[in-house]
Amino acid sequence: MTEGKRPGGLTALAVLNFVFASWSLIGMAGMVVFFTLIGKIPTENMDEKARMQMEALQDMGLSTLILIFTLTVVSCILLFLSGIGYLKQKKFLGRTLGSVYGILAIISSIVSGLMFDPELGGGFNIGTIIGLIYPVLTLILLNTTFKEDFTN
Amino acid sequence: MSLKTVSARHIRLIASYWIRYVVRSGAGLVFLLIALVFSLTVAHIIIMPVEQIMAQQTKSDQESNREKIVTTIVELSRPVIRWTLGIKSDEDDALFGAMKQGISSPPEVPMLEHVMAQAQPPTHPWTTFLLDERPALLSIIFLILIFSMPFLIAFLAFNQIAGDVQNLGLRYVLLRTERANIFIGRFLGTALFSTLVIAVIIATITFYLGVKIKIYPAGLLAVWALHGFLALAISTLPYIALCSWISTLVDSPFLSLVIAKMVIGGVLLLAFLGSLAWRPVIYLNFALPWGIQNHLLHPQLTHSLGTTLACLAYMLVFLFLGYYRFETRDL
Repeated sequence: MTEGKRPGGLTALAVLNFVFASWSLIGMAGMVVFFTLIGKIPTENMDEKARMQMEALQDMGLSTLILIFTLTVVSCILLFLSGIGYLKQKKFLGRTLGSVYGILAIISSIVSGLMFDPELGGGFNIGTIIGLIYPVLTLILLNTTFKEDFTN
Repeated sequence: MSLKTVSARHIRLIASYWIRYVVRSGAGLVFLLIALVFSLTVAHIIIMPVEQIMAQQTKSDQESNREKIVTTIVELSRPVIRWTLGIKSDEDDALFGAMKQGISSPPEVPMLEHVMAQAQPPTHPWTTFLLDERPALLSIIFLILIFSMPFLIAFLAFNQIAGDVQNLGLRYVLLRTERANIFIGRFLGTALFSTLVIAVIIATITFYLGVKIKIYPAGLLAVWALHGFLALAISTLPYIALCSWISTLVDSPFLSLVIAKMVIGGVLLLAFLGSLAWRPVIYLNFALPWGIQNHLLHPQLTHSLGTTLACLAYMLVFLFLGYYRFETRDL
């Protein structure tokens, strides 16, 4: 392998970053629409589980909402920028911002697990572990396997 | 072509390099992500109803009712276990169980009517073993993973040889070592990497069940987790060897992946669809370990060991075919 040639794994990480950033963007748009209309959704005909989820969402404070939105925006930006950094093999844009995304995503998962009710996906369950897979992998791979590949 | 050129030192070096390289190349990373996300999602879907019952009991200030939880688990698991073991209905299950237990009916009463009339109809010993004698949650997760792992393993093992043949990189490696060492070393590296990933998956699920769910004794959980891990690791070896062989046949990694997927899935699909028209076609499953891999979780240890040997035999056959092709082809 010639020096400076980008490994396939780094390209794969970049592609995954762009995919997850796109999903975050779509999720954010959905979140804005949902919380705009949430007060108008009738809950009388819903089953108990769905009604409890809806009521928990309606009771969520504005500050919590702003926090979720901010974290999502920041994660999306970090994913996008670090993806570009992986492709260009840049130290700050790739490795540093990618590591920051990993740490931020891990902290977000822990905080949301502590803050939210179980009806909203809070608490600790296997879903939390699934959400931690990509950030933890990113942190490990950027600082071990691909550490020497950020040459610019 | 001679096995005298095989060097354990070279094989160890190539295998250790391959484990590190497979993540750098992207294939290992994709496999790692897909395997982890898929396996943990399966576990999440299986475990979620149990957690919901436990949460409801906690909310209504009831003591944790283990009986109710275990009954829910068994009811949820029974259809999946029957499907994977090929038991079509309650009646089939009861008939199997009656046969195995040596139950006979009076001459004037049909066997099926006799067994179904009992207060607790007998069940297939295998169903009883997986649901009652072993942690049912783990049993059902293992059966689903044993079924799906062959499809996932192709993402890891498809490019052992094809990529280096395509970019003419092998000729530089062949200056230093022999073809046999490369072939065996890469197979071993791939097998070790997949075993590590499976170990992480099983350890995570078992740890979660032990620490969070807490309905099974820790010792039983650990023993069954170890059995399941070994079953999964052994069941993937023939498919890795198959992918090794396919990788030596073609010069394109993408084509190698496509052919591997088609063979692994095609054998199963053809056997199933063909058996609908002509029953004996179901034996096409035995062209790959599809027909036997569930037996790695059989109640009788001798049966499981026999299945292990059969899986290793499949692995050796595919490895030999791949090795022969790699040794004789033009690179």
